[in-house]
Amino acid sequence: MATGFLTDTTVCIGCKACEVACKQWNQLPADGYEFTGDSYDNTKQLSGTTWRHVAFIENPKKRRLTGDVDLVALAEDVTEPLPGGAELDALGRWAFMSDVCKHCVAAPCQQACPTGSIIRNEFDNVYIQPDICNGCGYCVPACPYGVITQVPNDGRAFKCTLCYDRQIDGLEPACAKACPTNSIQFGDVEDLKVIAERRVQELQDKGYTQAYVWGTPEVGGTGGINGNHSKFILMDEPETYNLPKHPYLPQEKVKGGVIAGAIAAGVLGAVVALAFRD
Amino acid sequence: MSEATRESVQQSNGKVETSHHPETDPKRKDKNYYGIPPIKHAHWTWQIPVYFWIGGIGAGTHLFSTVAQLLGHEDEAMKRVSRYTVLVTMILSPIFLIWDLGRPERFFNMMRILKLRSPMSTQSWSLIIFGNFAGLLAARQAAEDGLLGRNVLSRLLLKLIPERLLSVLALPFGLFVGFNTGNLISATSVPIWARNWALMAPTFLASGTSTALSWLSLVLHLTGSGEAKTLRALHRAEKATIVIEAGLIAASLVRMNRWGKPLFSKSVAPLFVGGALLSGIAAPAALLFSGKETRGKSILSSLLVLAGGLAFRFALIKAGRISADDPEAYFTFASGESAPQPEDKV
Repeated sequence: MATGFLTDTTVCIGCKACEVACKQWNQLPADGYEFTGDSYDNTKQLSGTTWRHVAFIENPKKRRLTGDVDLVALAEDVTEPLPGGAELDALGRWAFMSDVCKHCVAAPCQQACPTGSIIRNEFDNVYIQPDICNGCGYCVPACPYGVITQVPNDGRAFKCTLCYDRQIDGLEPACAKACPTNSIQFGDVEDLKVIAERRVQELQDKGYTQAYVWGTPEVGGTGGINGNHSKFILMDEPETYNLPKHPYLPQEKVKGGVIAGAIAAGVLGAVVALAFRD
Repeated sequence: MSEATRESVQQSNGKVETSHHPETDPKRKDKNYYGIPPIKHAHWTWQIPVYFWIGGIGAGTHLFSTVAQLLGHEDEAMKRVSRYTVLVTMILSPIFLIWDLGRPERFFNMMRILKLRSPMSTQSWSLIIFGNFAGLLAARQAAEDGLLGRNVLSRLLLKLIPERLLSVLALPFGLFVGFNTGNLISATSVPIWARNWALMAPTFLASGTSTALSWLSLVLHLTGSGEAKTLRALHRAEKATIVIEAGLIAASLVRMNRWGKPLFSKSVAPLFVGGALLSGIAAPAALLFSGKETRGKSILSSLLVLAGGLAFRFALIKAGRISADDPEAYFTFASGESAPQPEDKV
């Protein structure tokens, strides 16, 4: 059975309980008190010591405000035309998105790892064995999502384990357990896929036609890595959430690169040999 | 709408005045999350580009000496220089690589698995194999040179180490060490590196060979050793490889397209344009191709090529950091056709 997450951004309220629960359960150190000045989000990004991160995306509408404004409709982000032909540029939408390791089906970090420290465990999650990692850091630039990161004073690379220890004991991961709105759901990937499709249908029926599932190979552009075990329901383009549209598998081209190198080696060998001819 | 709001709306020509000005906030113009990089850059410090440089010198040196040997050109001085050069580069390379590890004491974990799709894994293995061959060949050379004294050990080494066979066996691994460093950086999510996957390995090998030839020519000229034929061959090979290298770098820049911009950014341009292109290629090419070959000109061009090769590797690693830190570069790269596709061929 493959387990994974479904993160429904439409019901996330940005409470950051998942971040806190993750830090507590996994005994991750604090990242310091930083003030970004960008938004109320001051933890910025996923890192070796932040395995869940809630992004606060202020998404202003770029329409001018004319006519009479219905503030309630404004706050509810109604999609039907406003009374009196009013157009809005005010609250916009404030989106939250709890980001996490995507647990790619064809994981670039796992393919890059030269020690075999990164494996797929019995739950089909991408897992770093901390007793084997020697901190070469090659998984870091391989990750198409900037998830896996080397922790400076430890030297090794860390990321979400999908609470491997809790799963062994039959518990759900700490973040999913702590989520008060069920924005983070944990379960069998196949079940989550069905739940996600149903939820997107529900949203589209309500008029939110921009809702879609991100993380399946068929839709949402993650075909390059055969999809993700961590899926998301998004309401905007992936880039808005700092996600690439079409992540690719960097190791796809290793064979081609070796062939190109071998050809170059042959040519240079011939050049050196020819240089000896008088 | 309250009276006050209505007033402020009218005053600003229908635009609402709020404390948040989304349209004037430059960070919100691009589609990204407050400009925070969507991927993480490699943490590699100076040890890695230095390793790329000396690894390339080792590979190229072995290529030259083995080709000379296979063609039946026995130049003792050149052979001696190349055997010891390869040995030193193969001792320094793992030192630099292990130094750069987060947990250096666990370097041996690289040896618990072989992954053909991980350039870091194949690089470690090829270094070990090539390094051992280099050690054996250098040991034989030392015995030949009498560095080990005239004892049983020396005689055994000379008798037991099949020099020709070992150099030929080591050659593919040496060349692999030389070009795989290119694949090492191109098999990542960093746009400027990944975009150039087809030419990165050839460029690294060409640059490595050119630095190696320069190193050999430098040492032979400085020590005043080496046969005239060797020096002539070196000179010709240097000319050819510098042209190949220049062509590959030009093709790489075309291939990198807009994602190659970091090479010309303020912090990298001095290294790339000034170091790699001008002092590493243009100046030595002018010296090599102009007029009669003299000792002084050879030494100067060798020094320039060696410095240029080092600058090139530092420039590429620094440019990779800038490329990875630029959300716009990554998102445009990973948004469709530009990223490497499974069906792409060399």
